[in-house]
Amino acid sequence: MREPWKSFRDFFVSLKLTVVLMALSIVLVFWATLAQVQLGIWGVQEKFFRAFFVLQRIPGTDIPFPVFPGGYFIGGLLLINLVVSHISRFKLSWRKSGIFLTHLGIIVLLLGELFTGLWQEEYQMRLDEGETKNYSESYLFNELAIIDASDPQFDDVVVVPEKFLARGQTVQHPKLPFRIVPRMYYSNAALQLQDDGQTTVTTPVTRDIGTRLKTISMPRTYKPNERNLPTAYVELVSADGTLGTWLVSPQLVQPQTFEYAGRQWRIALRFERKYKPYALTLINFSHDRYAGTDIPKNFSCRIQLTTLDGSDDREVLIYMNNPLRYAGLTFYQAGFDNNDRTTILQIVRNPSWTLPYIACALMALGLLVQFGFSLIAFIGKRRAAAAIPA
Amino acid sequence: MRRCHFISAALAVLTLLAGCSDTQVENYRVPKESLPPAPALSDSADATPAVDMASTAVPTGSEKFSWTAPTHWSAKPTGAMRKGSYAITGPEGEADLSITAFPGDTGGLLANINRWRGQISLPPQSTAQLESELQQLESGPLHFEIVDIAGTANGAPVRIIGAVLARPDETWFFKFMGPDALVAKEKAAFMVFIQSVTSY
Repeated sequence: MREPWKSFRDFFVSLKLTVVLMALSIVLVFWATLAQVQLGIWGVQEKFFRAFFVLQRIPGTDIPFPVFPGGYFIGGLLLINLVVSHISRFKLSWRKSGIFLTHLGIIVLLLGELFTGLWQEEYQMRLDEGETKNYSESYLFNELAIIDASDPQFDDVVVVPEKFLARGQTVQHPKLPFRIVPRMYYSNAALQLQDDGQTTVTTPVTRDIGTRLKTISMPRTYKPNERNLPTAYVELVSADGTLGTWLVSPQLVQPQTFEYAGRQWRIALRFERKYKPYALTLINFSHDRYAGTDIPKNFSCRIQLTTLDGSDDREVLIYMNNPLRYAGLTFYQAGFDNNDRTTILQIVRNPSWTLPYIACALMALGLLVQFGFSLIAFIGKRRAAAAIPA
Repeated sequence: MRRCHFISAALAVLTLLAGCSDTQVENYRVPKESLPPAPALSDSADATPAVDMASTAVPTGSEKFSWTAPTHWSAKPTGAMRKGSYAITGPEGEADLSITAFPGDTGGLLANINRWRGQISLPPQSTAQLESELQQLESGPLHFEIVDIAGTANGAPVRIIGAVLARPDETWFFKFMGPDALVAKEKAAFMVFIQSVTSY
């Protein structure tokens, strides 16, 4: 048993490993920085840093192939390297406590990034004045929602992530009396209404507004201030046969409705939603400018926060650098639109947001202790040298 | 050799971990939601007619403009496609003012004006005809091209006054559409409104 442990330890405590990993991270950061031009900041994070391997598709196929270690891989090995080195080399003494604290800070920093990658959620809520919402929406992902709206009290919702549509993967859910069969998928598309009576749309869509719409495929966008708007053709197939094919897109403001098996259904491709047990109503949005100029002075929104069970019903003011923190989420004033009548809130969940601060404090304290000891020792030596008579 | 085993084991564990966060089909109940109001066909946003956008930010124009509307115009909620939306009511009925913006030139001025003409049962124009009818408006650093066209929709006389603001990377449309008499009466207010548009 001792031999494998020794071999394990020798590999992971090795300073050579640290140097190799550092060199790999330099290459990774450089490559990712160049790739940011094409992929944007979010794409780069997902492809290079929040991945174990950087994957590239084999030319001409859809098969991903690992070409370089990713952020999780390099960061994970660095973490193991650091922890194992500590366990095998650490000896409790005051003189080493500075180094110990500094390295502990680095460990906390690495763990903080890992937890942020795993647990952080970022959503948006867009509210017009007077509008109430009890859900936030993703600004990256979309979902196909099939809603059983027959009950007067509630909606029964089945949501299918966009990736199923992209892969053309059929979905059969026990709550649905039909199968969802994706027929066509555009990751970004524009829609044009052909209602001038002259153009005939050639489309496999057989139901609702989609029969009058032309889909124009657009290149994917990676700009941080734009989002891709997918369009899909979805066929619903029951045991009795097909119910028809619908065109779905987040660009259609209303879900499309139909009846089947004596129930009312709605179908929509929408921005991915996160429902909350509370609702926000925008009372008003203010955009103050310095008198006589268009220079912004302050953005703020007054919000009524109401929980569904009535336990909380209060007014809150959100403005720049003064977010609302509620139920583990932080609501930031992120933007505005519609001639200052619409607010855009960014909603972030990051349970590990304190870790980088703790890490920095630990590292600063460690360096202070380490250099403090050196300074004291140095001053002691100088005094001793000065005390020796010439 | 033994080192290779450890590296392989570490790689295997890390690869397995990579597959942990995968979204799946979900089912849940939410309190009953009312459907958002359906936009009328004439209420269309400009590059994607008749299908107004869902109410979350989508790529439209990225420049920022502000404007001042007359007090008797009432602001309407906007979908993400509209930058601004107003209802103007009078004894003649209700007119709609939509402010939209799209990247690029959205097919060119002629195509867009002809689409508007199609919406009020007018035949398409040639470039020469359009240029003879276009009115140019300089407002500070902004240059608007304005059309005023009258036709019919469902047998009723309808007028569109449209102001198109072409920017280097995007195009803004201020489209005022409604009953002929009402839109004609409000034209002066619309022109003042257009001149209030400023970039910030």
